[in-house]
Amino acid sequence: MRPFAHFAPRSLDEALDIFRREGEGGRPLAGGTDLVVQLKEGGHKFPYPRYLVSLRRLPELRALGWHEEQGLRLGAGLTMAEVASNDWVRQRYPALADGAGLVGSRQTMNMATVGGNVCNAAPSADTAPPLLALEAQARIVGPQGERLLPLEEFWLGPGETVLRHGELLTEFLLPPPLPRSASLYRRHTPRQQMDIAVVGVAVAVALDDGGRTLKKVRIALGAVAPTPIRARRAEAALEGQAPSPEAIARAAAIAQEEARPISDVRGSAALRRHLVGVMTERLLREAIERARRG
Amino acid sequence: MARETLERPRFRHVGRPVDRIDATAKVTGQTVYGDDLRLPRLLHVKLVHAPVAHARIRRIGASKALAVPGVEAVLTAADLPPHRTNPDARAQVLLASDEVLFYGQPVAAVLARDPYTAAYARDLVEVEYEELPAVVDPLEAMRDDAPLARTGAIRDADRSEEQGHITVEAQQEQAQSHPSNVSSSITFRRGDVEAGFAEADAVVEGTWRSSMVHQSYIEPHVIIADYDASGELSIWSSTQAPFHVRHEVARTLGLPEARVRVTATEVGGGFGGKIYLYEPLVAALAMAVRRPVKLTMSRREDMLAATPAPQAVVQLKAGMKADGTLVALQARVIYDAGAFPGAPVLPGCLLIGGSYKCPNLDIQGFEVLTNKVSVGALRAPGAPHVAFALESAMDMLAQRLELDPLEVRLKNAVEKGDPLPSGQPYPAIGLKECLEAIARTDIWRERRRIRQHPHRGVGLAVGGWLGGLQPASATVGLNADGTINVTVGAADITGTNTSFAQIAAEELNLPLEMVSVVTGDTRTAPYAGMSAGSKTTYTVGRAVKLAAEDARQQILAIASQRLEVPAEELEMQDGVVRARGQPEKQVTFRELGRLTTGFGARYAPIVGRGAITARRQAPGFTAQVAEVEVDPDTGQVTVLRYAVAQDVGFAINPKSVEGQMQGGAAQGLGIALFEEMVYDEKGRLLNPNLLDYRLPTARDVPPIEAIIVEVPSEEGPYGARIVGEPSIVPGPAAVANAVADAVGARVFEAPLTPERVLRALGKLRD
Amino acid sequence: MPKRVITLTVNGETHEVAVEPWWTLLYTVREELGLTGSKEGCGTGDCGACSMLLDGRLVTSCIVLAVEADGCQVTTIEGLAQGGQLHPVQQAFVEKGAVQCGYCIPGMVMAAYDLLRRQPDPTLEEVRLALAGNLCRCTGYTKIYEAVLAAAERMRLEGARG
Repeated sequence: MRPFAHFAPRSLDEALDIFRREGEGGRPLAGGTDLVVQLKEGGHKFPYPRYLVSLRRLPELRALGWHEEQGLRLGAGLTMAEVASNDWVRQRYPALADGAGLVGSRQTMNMATVGGNVCNAAPSADTAPPLLALEAQARIVGPQGERLLPLEEFWLGPGETVLRHGELLTEFLLPPPLPRSASLYRRHTPRQQMDIAVVGVAVAVALDDGGRTLKKVRIALGAVAPTPIRARRAEAALEGQAPSPEAIARAAAIAQEEARPISDVRGSAALRRHLVGVMTERLLREAIERARRG
Repeated sequence: MARETLERPRFRHVGRPVDRIDATAKVTGQTVYGDDLRLPRLLHVKLVHAPVAHARIRRIGASKALAVPGVEAVLTAADLPPHRTNPDARAQVLLASDEVLFYGQPVAAVLARDPYTAAYARDLVEVEYEELPAVVDPLEAMRDDAPLARTGAIRDADRSEEQGHITVEAQQEQAQSHPSNVSSSITFRRGDVEAGFAEADAVVEGTWRSSMVHQSYIEPHVIIADYDASGELSIWSSTQAPFHVRHEVARTLGLPEARVRVTATEVGGGFGGKIYLYEPLVAALAMAVRRPVKLTMSRREDMLAATPAPQAVVQLKAGMKADGTLVALQARVIYDAGAFPGAPVLPGCLLIGGSYKCPNLDIQGFEVLTNKVSVGALRAPGAPHVAFALESAMDMLAQRLELDPLEVRLKNAVEKGDPLPSGQPYPAIGLKECLEAIARTDIWRERRRIRQHPHRGVGLAVGGWLGGLQPASATVGLNADGTINVTVGAADITGTNTSFAQIAAEELNLPLEMVSVVTGDTRTAPYAGMSAGSKTTYTVGRAVKLAAEDARQQILAIASQRLEVPAEELEMQDGVVRARGQPEKQVTFRELGRLTTGFGARYAPIVGRGAITARRQAPGFTAQVAEVEVDPDTGQVTVLRYAVAQDVGFAINPKSVEGQMQGGAAQGLGIALFEEMVYDEKGRLLNPNLLDYRLPTARDVPPIEAIIVEVPSEEGPYGARIVGEPSIVPGPAAVANAVADAVGARVFEAPLTPERVLRALGKLRD
Repeated sequence: MPKRVITLTVNGETHEVAVEPWWTLLYTVREELGLTGSKEGCGTGDCGACSMLLDGRLVTSCIVLAVEADGCQVTTIEGLAQGGQLHPVQQAFVEKGAVQCGYCIPGMVMAAYDLLRRQPDPTLEEVRLALAGNLCRCTGYTKIYEAVLAAAERMRLEGARG
């Protein structure tokens, strides 16, 4: 590692002040499971930082609250272990519990934060498809105040986000789930654990009151495009339809078309495209089944 | 855990499960490994690894690195003390001086006060390269028009690692006269293979590919060297082979072996990958700066620039008669050596033609050079590659002829007296007994029921290893208080020192607690060969047994004089020597200790000496069975159950032996399912880390059933034979056979990744 | 730039240590405090050999910056045995033959210890899940599973007695 400075602010304001004072060349440091590895191994997609600002001690990043109408507030600084074991998340946003519960090892889950996972902007991030499918919004606080952004607009490319110098992602807002709904996230990896998603798929579905048609469908894909993406055409093809096996298969085929995978050391484009179809179809079926059971 | 044991005498210690003598230190974190050692004035080394696979070095600029505070030196090949260089031997090319032959080859060394400073400065060393065409794929490299992986023909290949693992007499032909990337080849023929195929009722053929894999010991390489003012060179290395390191370092640096002390620090996993490599370089650095220096490789550096195991391509054609008799085997076995010779062509050829009785053989082996990191040994080097082909073919033949795959193997399995392809006959071996043991496992007996499940199947495969041979010696001394010290020169990798304690305690009829075993350094310990080739217990164990018997005779001789009773009428138990039938006539080990060590002692110290030369191998065979589930839509293979039966001759410590069998089998599962070093077309390693180089995790390895089979060897202590290596061999074939059984698709390339399984199922377009 | 002085309470003992911002917790504990039981196997959080407890949570200390641990409680493998008495997890690893080369073992023992604090009566599958971040290359894990399950049983019995 090259030399750098390290700051450990105790409040969000203090953290913002440090970025303002120190100027360009700083990086926020959350759990460190991506950033520290990138600094050690040189795998970073950004200029080597002059300084790090630790987010570990910022109480503003640890919000966690549930509200019937507003949904879930989820601090960006919560760890994967905290997210995966939280009862609100497990019961109302199971896809997110799935994703957070798959990141690395127990050790990784104790360190890595959900905000860090999103800000690292890996197309394969395991919490990204769930958060997309669950229509999360990101609260961004910076020198010019704060803004709320649909997460879909947050990523620009691998390792790239809309965050400007001195801005921090502080929390996520997840709308309350609809009645008769369910969500799921699965990923494909060669190993059972300790792996990076070759493909990750999250789906969230809601049935209408009679349970006969799909009122709402959200499908999000990881590791098959420069950023995590929504499969909007596949969603549209299913919404308002009866969840027949044919309709589900058609939606999965459309999702395959929406994927723009590349070949790399973790898998070929052909494998990824194939898996998008298989997994989307399986997950839709399972989610619809769960939504039916309630 | 079961044990298939013949009738045999009852022993007090050997043959019983005991706790490893070093386990308590290891579970408390007290064991000192190489990176835990501290020396005053120590400098830390980071190597500059070439970022190109084949190039000429134009210039190395060190000024920026030298300007970093805390950097003491940046050394290139030109700055090293005079030494012998052999361009054909990897470890004797200390730093690349002119031609870079593989991605990751060290070209310079940065020495600094701490490893962070060294690593930071390392990145500031500026090297200009003139890139040369790189050849990466071994089949491409064999073509006449392929670029050459290196300038200059191979003249003096170093095959010591291979010989340490497998010691057989056979002629390996050096390269042809015209320039070629084929650095050696070998041929074995028997009978008439064409006539054999004509006689066969079924013939199958295929091309099996195995990927380059890394030993992936959890402790990366670590070496410390110190050259003192009196001209003594001390090396602490995480090596399996201290005496070999001493020999090679002394030879390379022109020092007498007597002035080189090599201490094998506790080895945090070796598996053949820690014989010797950077010791001459680190020693040369220490001599250059006259300070102790330490090289602790990072995982990335270790994966780029240690000695992983080769990629191989095996073309095999096999013919069988309707009654299951194997009648012809024709094989072309190609190993990719990387940038320096040293690939396991010979064992591969011997084992592909030496696992089954077969009257007609035609086997050709080729070692090919490419611009990749050069390979070394990994547990039964070369064997899993050929077993993958041979054992897949055996299943294909059995299926074609509608025969039981286990019965087919039993019918053809080699036995005592059957010839290897080289003509050398097998000594007593237990391949059939292993198959019989597997036939009794739950997995095998339940296979028909398992197949009812649409995506589950059972696969069987066998494998073997011949083993290395090197002489060994040991001493057994009586201490003043009556306790016993055993001194050996072999690094304890697998719990061998615990077995040696059992052997000494057995021979001296003592409680285990009275015996202590130490591995000395090369100045203090009696000679032993490398702890490789599964031979440590087989060879050093014999030496310990002899040394203990010698000590016993010395003890009895003195006791006989003291008690005035003939030695034949004495017995010893728990540190007391007494006359048979006259319990009052006795002398304790403690008294004897005093009588042989005290001031003005009457008798010379008791030092038992054991020295042996080993000329006969005790090959080890194993049969393994896997139950898998295959997801036919994602290609994912999950191993549900796994059993390994292995002939170990005699299990001196069954607890350690089971651990060896389970550990090797899990490595076999790793190369079967996950492990693969991926190089791009320019020869750059794409996954030098333990995230994308996937070792099996606890989630991936089910509990492995270990069945110890004991067919005694002729020379080993108590009948023990080789143990460590065979268990890795059948994994890829057993899994491939199980996958074929489960979903009907045969995969010809390991690891059996989801992608390869899907392609075999015809489910991936393009 | 001068080093930063941080406070670490390791195995109950409080230390003030001067560190560079880029030093890892693992490096600091090993090199500055001399507690070399925790090992570096990969340096990227993928093998678990450096596992220790940081404020009661199991972490891979090779990717934790020491400055991030300022003021924290750390438990390393050296802190497990009490009064010369092996912890039941350690004892079970010895007795079940779960130790071979030993390099992964400090981290493996810490992960098993962490599991049994959370789940005193784990199933085999829960053991495999909890240890997935700790690579072992020697044992094939089988005897490690046996050791962790045996330790759990012993701890439950001792807990029931005590």
